[in-house]
Amino acid sequence: MITQNIRMSPRRSLLRRWFEPKSIKKMAPATAVIVYGLLILWAVFVLFPLYWLLITSFKLPADVNAGPVYLPWIDFTPSLHAWRELFVFDYEDTLRAYINSIIIALLATVLCVTIGSMAAYALGRIQYKPKFATIVLFVLCLVAMAVVVGRWGVDWRLSLAVALAVFFVLARAVGRHFKATLGNGDILFWMISQRILPPIVAVIPIYMMFQSVRLLDTHIAQILAYAVVNLPIVVWLMHDFFVTIPTDLDESAQLDGATRFTTFVEIILPLAKPGLAATTLLVLILCWNEYLLSLFLSTSNAQTMPILVAAMNAGERGILWWSMAVVIIVMIFPVVLMALVLQRFISRGILLGAVKG
Amino acid sequence: MYHVGKVLSPLLLGAMAMAGVAASGPAAAQKMYDGVTVRIMTRPGPVIAQRLVERGKEFTEMTGAKIEVAEVPFAELFQKLLTDWATGTNSIDVGVFASSWAPEYVDAGLLQDLTDYVAKDTKIEINDIAPFFREYNQKVGGKTYLITVDGDFQMVYYRKDILDQMGLKPPRTWDEYHAVAAATDGKDLNGDGTPDFGSCMFKKRNAQSYFAIMSIAAAYVQTQGTSEGMFFDPATMKPLVNNEAWAEAFKIYKKNGEYGPPDELNHDIGDTRALVTTGRCALAIDWGDIGPLSLDPGGEAIKNKMGATVMMGTKKVLDKATGKLVDCDATRCPHAIDGINYSPFAAFGGWTGGINAKADDKVKQAGYDFLSYMNQAAQSNVDVTIGWTGYNPYRNSQLDNLEPWIKAGFTEESAKNYLGAIKDSLNNPNMASDLKIPGTAEYQGVVLDRELARFLAGEITAEEAVANVETGWEEITERFGRDEQKNLYKASLGITN
Amino acid sequence: MTSGTGATTTSRLGRVAPAGPNASVTTRARLNEWLDRQSRQLFIAPAVIIILIFSVFPTIASLVLAFSNIRLRAGSYQVQFVGLRNFRKQFFGTEQFHFLGTFTSISLLGWIVTIASAASLIWWLYRYAKRDFTILGFIGRLITASMGFGLALLFSATLFSGNPFGTLGVTIFYVIVGCTIQFLIGLGLAVLCAQPIKGRTFFRVVFFIPLMITPIGIGYSFRMLADTTKGPFSPIWQWIGLGDFGWANHAWTARLFIVIGDSWQWIPFIFVILLAALENVSRDQVEAGQVDGASGWQVFKEITWPQIAPVAATVMLIRIIEAFKLVDLPNIMTSGGPGIATESMTLHSFFAWRALNLGDSAAIAYLLLFVTVVLCVSFFNLLVLKRLRPA
Repeated sequence: MITQNIRMSPRRSLLRRWFEPKSIKKMAPATAVIVYGLLILWAVFVLFPLYWLLITSFKLPADVNAGPVYLPWIDFTPSLHAWRELFVFDYEDTLRAYINSIIIALLATVLCVTIGSMAAYALGRIQYKPKFATIVLFVLCLVAMAVVVGRWGVDWRLSLAVALAVFFVLARAVGRHFKATLGNGDILFWMISQRILPPIVAVIPIYMMFQSVRLLDTHIAQILAYAVVNLPIVVWLMHDFFVTIPTDLDESAQLDGATRFTTFVEIILPLAKPGLAATTLLVLILCWNEYLLSLFLSTSNAQTMPILVAAMNAGERGILWWSMAVVIIVMIFPVVLMALVLQRFISRGILLGAVKG
Repeated sequence: MYHVGKVLSPLLLGAMAMAGVAASGPAAAQKMYDGVTVRIMTRPGPVIAQRLVERGKEFTEMTGAKIEVAEVPFAELFQKLLTDWATGTNSIDVGVFASSWAPEYVDAGLLQDLTDYVAKDTKIEINDIAPFFREYNQKVGGKTYLITVDGDFQMVYYRKDILDQMGLKPPRTWDEYHAVAAATDGKDLNGDGTPDFGSCMFKKRNAQSYFAIMSIAAAYVQTQGTSEGMFFDPATMKPLVNNEAWAEAFKIYKKNGEYGPPDELNHDIGDTRALVTTGRCALAIDWGDIGPLSLDPGGEAIKNKMGATVMMGTKKVLDKATGKLVDCDATRCPHAIDGINYSPFAAFGGWTGGINAKADDKVKQAGYDFLSYMNQAAQSNVDVTIGWTGYNPYRNSQLDNLEPWIKAGFTEESAKNYLGAIKDSLNNPNMASDLKIPGTAEYQGVVLDRELARFLAGEITAEEAVANVETGWEEITERFGRDEQKNLYKASLGITN
Repeated sequence: MTSGTGATTTSRLGRVAPAGPNASVTTRARLNEWLDRQSRQLFIAPAVIIILIFSVFPTIASLVLAFSNIRLRAGSYQVQFVGLRNFRKQFFGTEQFHFLGTFTSISLLGWIVTIASAASLIWWLYRYAKRDFTILGFIGRLITASMGFGLALLFSATLFSGNPFGTLGVTIFYVIVGCTIQFLIGLGLAVLCAQPIKGRTFFRVVFFIPLMITPIGIGYSFRMLADTTKGPFSPIWQWIGLGDFGWANHAWTARLFIVIGDSWQWIPFIFVILLAALENVSRDQVEAGQVDGASGWQVFKEITWPQIAPVAATVMLIRIIEAFKLVDLPNIMTSGGPGIATESMTLHSFFAWRALNLGDSAAIAYLLLFVTVVLCVSFFNLLVLKRLRPA
């Protein structure tokens, strides 16, 4: 419509000028007003809750309870009382949860990205041909084991050993008779599809599993669990980065005598660095914010920040909004910083590659 | 080794108490529990937990035992403790939790029997603890498993200044309550120029609303004394809930909302207390906390303006044969006062400490000593006068002795009124005990709470709600085993046959 | 590493391990050689094993739980097999209202919706059967259609007949309404940002922030913002006469608030990826279109959209998968209230778990898994793949 106007009206009135772009790469002033207006509106919508959190953390209880006040130094006098409370009185609890969060998120991310990118690389370079029948057999063995343990209360270690033994005995025989195989694409789909699994389905048995090996309320339980739920994302994203790296590089490296590990670590990974960084940060954020798994798997020693934040509500004198605001700010500060770092990668459209599928 | 430890430790405890005083010198002697760590789990926040931490530091100073307090959200506390102990994780030595959960823990064999510990304890003055808490709350099946740190039952609070000013009497029944609420609703009660509310009652789902509904229902259901029980028929374990009495309680609870704040459905007890302490409510239901909270910083608006009275009674009670409400008479309501049947409900039963049966002996003893220390009059008589601790009176000496209360800021009149309401409740032979059988969390926290929430949201009628509660309860009973549940229910009410 | 590399080269070419002068080097070389031979498996094994242990096995074990009644005893679990009881309860028993909804009679509107959806689904199947029939494809579509019809029936009997629906309906509501809103706004913002504007980086960074924030924090912040007496908008509520209106008292306003909170967090995700996709759209074609006199809408519809559609479909698939798992926001903002109006299936399962009713909890979780898988796979097969496949 805009361009039609240009053609049909050689004379440009003031009104027209508002609705016509000066050139094809610029917007008409009216469009610009609307575009900037909407963008600024949305920026306000995004930032206002954060602003409100920030000023709430500096309010006295009276300032919160007596109805809204908006501007520090004008509406109310900012006070550091909630900050002091957190950093002085509840110092130990907060610090413990914070350190737990950092340890768990970092280690889970490292584990997840390492395992995930190895698998992603392998799926992009090596042809796997798992036999369909073997997989069915394996799942059947696991089901049988679960039923035996659940239904008749047989010791799980014993039944696991028996199930695996049965599997290995039968696997060869089955493999000889049924030849249908799956490809890399199927494995990839299987790994990615794990993300569909709602955590609530798996979390109770995971809980019981960690309990039976006495790992509840430890870092390692949460690290493993977080790594698993985020593994599909790593495999997915990294697979797509590796696919863009030409296979010639691998081949020439291997001709030069490098092992697959060396090729992977010294040649492919450095090339995939931007993707690796973006994936790592994404997983790190997801681990940092994880709530449900932590709720199940931690009691006291390994409590993470989200649990601490959720527990703030339990004050029997109403939610202490000011303290709540402080804890949330403390918790989101590192990830918002990360967002600033991450945006460099996003602007290059790196995440896009994966989504394009 | 085991026996020696058991015999020696109480002796050492005595020595420790003295050593605690003596050890304050510079060359502190080896303390009795040096190297022992007692890990306690309870709910988060200043309430309950913070005082444990503070007293824990004193205790460490005295005995050398390190007290670590882990805090988990209240809604997760029940199962966290149960799973930690039942699965053998044993990361927790002492739980401070609702006394009504104890039967399930005891049934699963998780709690240490404290009877011997109490017998050897010279400082706890067990007979000073009010009979209801001593006999019903701390014991399961006649054995002491718990040490009380907080006494809980609900009362009705009213703004004495406003009622006096308007010439209204404190309500005794729900009709009177509604009359007062209607008269005060929309008036400015705290002088800030905005209209305030006639009645404040927490109604949020998955919070405390089911305690309020039980408090309301108790007087309609229970007439024959504590051992009658208000939840099940002890003979058949059939729920006593699908009847006019509970339906009436549901309706009353909803009607209170007409005089309450607009978003009351999303208010938990914290939100309600914030309103009460800022003077915005003429009437409110709460545990004993409002009294001391009015003395804390932040309670200035209602300081010495709050009156307390025993939970509302009723002139009509349940006829169990027909499920209808009938008028009170001398045989039906033997404990009635002026024809009104009261049944103060020990909602929640109070926070109590129990010890993990699997804990190390020395840790058990240290844990017990710490609970005892919390419970002893020297400490608890101070703690119960401080609002933010969440601790409410449970000892006779706390009720008879006005001095600490006046020191804490009450006028004599207010102290008498507040403690009088508590005494009236505790001395009522018809006090209603909270449900204390396995599955309590599910009976109340899931089924009752959910049906109540649906009724309040207008999804179903009161009659449908109580019918649903009955079906839900029957299902839980079946799952846990009817006979087993029946015996435990009887035991919890002290019925032995 | 270097010495090992040399050794393996030899082994690769000559199949004989070099007789090194140094024994330890030989051992290391052998080890490296062995590792290299196993590298096929070693690369993928950790991922497969960890998924098997922590994802596949729990899923199977959870199925056993769903058919059992479990009680905790000191030191053990007491498991009692109860067959389909936990599931029956959800569909026909005491939990029916909670999971499916309350049923009375179906209203006229309900019947119309039911019949219309049944007819269109049958038509869809018929068309498929006539055009390109494969047994597997037909079975898949049959499952999709049955699920679609089941959901249509569910909403006809509840929503369109004036009855409240249960957690299944609430979950579907969050998924459909939430994802639609998020997609439209996310796309809109991406299109706005793709205009030749100044400060694009600023907007991109700002718009991206909510994705970083823990959902718990968002839940509390939005509860604070929505408070009718203390929140920042309370003067506005008072002014328009809604001062006494509690958003948490009404099923639909409560659900709406949760969708708003969820959208605040997830729009950035859709925005960022769609923006990247838009930036990849070739400018030449767009400009050519503009020169040819196509309107902005035509350019978008004919040139831009076909290029970003595959990305859009995939990004929505990811979003839908995550939306099914929504739990933190309703738990914090409303605890599932008023009534059960905002309770998602994960929350439903979580509440059962919290009372240690593990059997019911697992059964509900499994139902959620079933619904999620059918709907996501349907979406993937019917929309994403179709977009990717040249027509």
